[in-house]
Amino acid sequence: MIFASITFLFYFLPITLVIYYMVPNKLKNIILLIASLLFYFYGEPKYVWLMISSIIITYIFGILIDKYKKQSKLFLIVSIVTIVGLLMYFKYINFIIENINSIVSNKIHFIYIALPIGISFYIFQMVSYLIDVYRGEAKVQKNILKVAMYISLFPQLIAGPIVRYTTIEEQIEKRNYTIEKFSLGVRRFIIGLGKKVLIADVLGELNTILLGSNETSILYYWLYAISGMLQIYFDFSGYSDMAIGLGKMLGFEFLENFNYPYIATSITDFWRRWHISLSTWFRDYVYIPLGGNKVSNIKWLRNLLIVWILTGLWHGAAWNFVIWGLYFGILLIIEKIFLGKILKKTPKILARIYTLLIVMISFIIFNGDNVTIISQNIGGLFGVNNISFVSKESLYYLKSYFIIILISIIGSTPILKNIASTKKIHKFINCIEPIFLLFILIISTSYIIDGSFSPFLYFRF
Amino acid sequence: MEDKARNVVISIGFIVILLILFLANILKQDQVISITERRKLEQFPEITLKKTIDGEVSKSIEKYAVDQFIVRDTFRGIKSFFSINILRQKDNNGMFEKNGAIYKMEYPLKEENVNKSVDKIKEINEKYLKNMKVYYAIIPDKNYYLKEDEHLKIDYNRLKQIALEKLEHMCYIDIWDDLELNDYYRTDLHWRQENLQKVVKKIQTSMENENIEELNYIKTNIGKFYGTYYGQLGVNVNPDEMYILTNEIIENCKTYNYEKEEIGTIYDKSNSKDKYDIYLSGATPLIYIENPNANDEKELLIFRDSYGSSLAPLLIQNYRKITLIDLRYMSSTLLDNYIEFKNQDVLFLYSTLVLNQNVLK
Repeated sequence: MIFASITFLFYFLPITLVIYYMVPNKLKNIILLIASLLFYFYGEPKYVWLMISSIIITYIFGILIDKYKKQSKLFLIVSIVTIVGLLMYFKYINFIIENINSIVSNKIHFIYIALPIGISFYIFQMVSYLIDVYRGEAKVQKNILKVAMYISLFPQLIAGPIVRYTTIEEQIEKRNYTIEKFSLGVRRFIIGLGKKVLIADVLGELNTILLGSNETSILYYWLYAISGMLQIYFDFSGYSDMAIGLGKMLGFEFLENFNYPYIATSITDFWRRWHISLSTWFRDYVYIPLGGNKVSNIKWLRNLLIVWILTGLWHGAAWNFVIWGLYFGILLIIEKIFLGKILKKTPKILARIYTLLIVMISFIIFNGDNVTIISQNIGGLFGVNNISFVSKESLYYLKSYFIIILISIIGSTPILKNIASTKKIHKFINCIEPIFLLFILIISTSYIIDGSFSPFLYFRF
Repeated sequence: MEDKARNVVISIGFIVILLILFLANILKQDQVISITERRKLEQFPEITLKKTIDGEVSKSIEKYAVDQFIVRDTFRGIKSFFSINILRQKDNNGMFEKNGAIYKMEYPLKEENVNKSVDKIKEINEKYLKNMKVYYAIIPDKNYYLKEDEHLKIDYNRLKQIALEKLEHMCYIDIWDDLELNDYYRTDLHWRQENLQKVVKKIQTSMENENIEELNYIKTNIGKFYGTYYGQLGVNVNPDEMYILTNEIIENCKTYNYEKEEIGTIYDKSNSKDKYDIYLSGATPLIYIENPNANDEKELLIFRDSYGSSLAPLLIQNYRKITLIDLRYMSSTLLDNYIEFKNQDVLFLYSTLVLNQNVLK
């Protein structure tokens, strides 16, 4: 089930919220667990067993790691190999076979297997829980239902953010419910819904049209690159907003996952603002355990490259994702060695343009099926092959999507947030906010009804 | 408004809206069809363990929930209004409204498809129609006649050029100057039968039908026509009025539908969801019209799409029999199982819309 669907909005959510708030506090976790399993089962009935089995493995090994301190490292290794092995099998096995086949003559048959929804997210949560228990940073959870509830919690189950156990450890036991928190959750959820349905999906529609076109003009390539870049941000951050909003409605506080990444003044800054839960996960569970930057320069470079190759691979089992990760890894190394210092002295506007260009190109790599398409889409931005500057088609789509692109550019910056938080207009904002949210909810619903089923871009990660 | 009051309004308002819509959807009686979209709506699925595990049930429920949503058409209208009037988008799902008429952008020209469509015509000509009089005409979609240059149109000249180059041994009948925008329905893609006199004359003349009589037709209004595009855009425009042309010859003709194995009349007055189905009972692979009042034994084969349904009755005066073949619904390899190719006149009559897709079998 996805949040931006009629079944979720007008069936699952009201039923869940009503039951959740009607039952006494001690039953709330059970209700959440049942709702979350139903939520997952509805979208991925074939693989609900996989999630449940990995929850059981995580629970058992959590206890073993905590109980048998002497063997805890062994238990940690075995548990991580097991659950990461599941991820490897379901997500990467055909990628591995494909690459083996390209170098050996005896071809291995591909395995017909679908990628279970949300597996990359929930496996990472399990790993973080086990490592945190091993490190003593989290208390082991002895109630399997609570472990299951943490892993399967529906707001963040299928597309993140990657909620660490330590973030909600206390909230699993006791949560605060206030009208203020609930209304903040509603606001966040509806804004996320609007970002997803009214911006990301509309830009996605433009991208699909452009992809199907034989057009070659510089404007076309820029339109494709900019709309793709905005789409992925609004899609993913919209989903995170909805997840955080739902969390608040249910009494949880999840950490932020995005912080206006498109105003970043360097790639280092960008990755502090983009998919924060993933980058901090790799920092804390891969980069630092490898020695971080407190090792020789060679090892430090190795650590960075490992982290970024893994980050790329996390996004998908294909070489373009590896290149995408490496691209960022190399740029981050360059920034750490010398460019970062220069960027700090550079006017912010120029630093932002540099960052946006780098990020835009990164998403062309991210979305490209092969090297030819990637180089064509990047080359097209700079008029390679003497293509015309503008064509009737690209001009038509620019005009047709101009307002939505403009809204999404403004929405990628904190301008509106800053205006809304001005004290002088606070009362006015209070008056129009409920109307604005109602408007977004109605328009989003009308888009969902008019359009077809539109899964999230990050749905299959 | 104070912060607390705002929080209460937002929280309670949200829950109340969700619950109202939840209850309204539960209580609402399911619809079988959508009149405006002219299609069957998804019904609540049968739930079995296998279908549930396969994910079929959830997929069907998703479709069901969207299709059966309360005041669905109103919501679709809101979306259309918002995207066109607020976001100033040039089209909504590829459709747009201009001067009270609805258009669907047919863009871009898919040369590969046009080539395949034309190759199919050529293949049939070479296989079945040797030594026969073979003609072809291309029907422009109504966007061609739209004067404004704001929306995207296919390269009509290129499409014609492909056909002319590949079908050089067939006689081309150019009807493009015999039509204008008013000859098409405002809410539908098709042309109006009552406005086809010039086209009919051009075809008759080109096909060397010597005894062309200026026939009088009775123009009968058969009511409002909510065309294919009417419900697709979700904006309010006036429906079309639909007319049929009849005379004694047409009324005396009989049709035979091979698929339904039914004898009928040219105008099928049973209440179809699509009023355009009045012409020869709508889409069907193979049908013939027999004219008992014909002066000679001439026959005509028309390879056609749906535009041909409303045109064929106006050509019947010159023929004993017109057989209409729709290659979107039957394979050309089966043709000689049903048709004896002798010395019939042959007309390929396809719209640009069909040629730009690769749908001829």
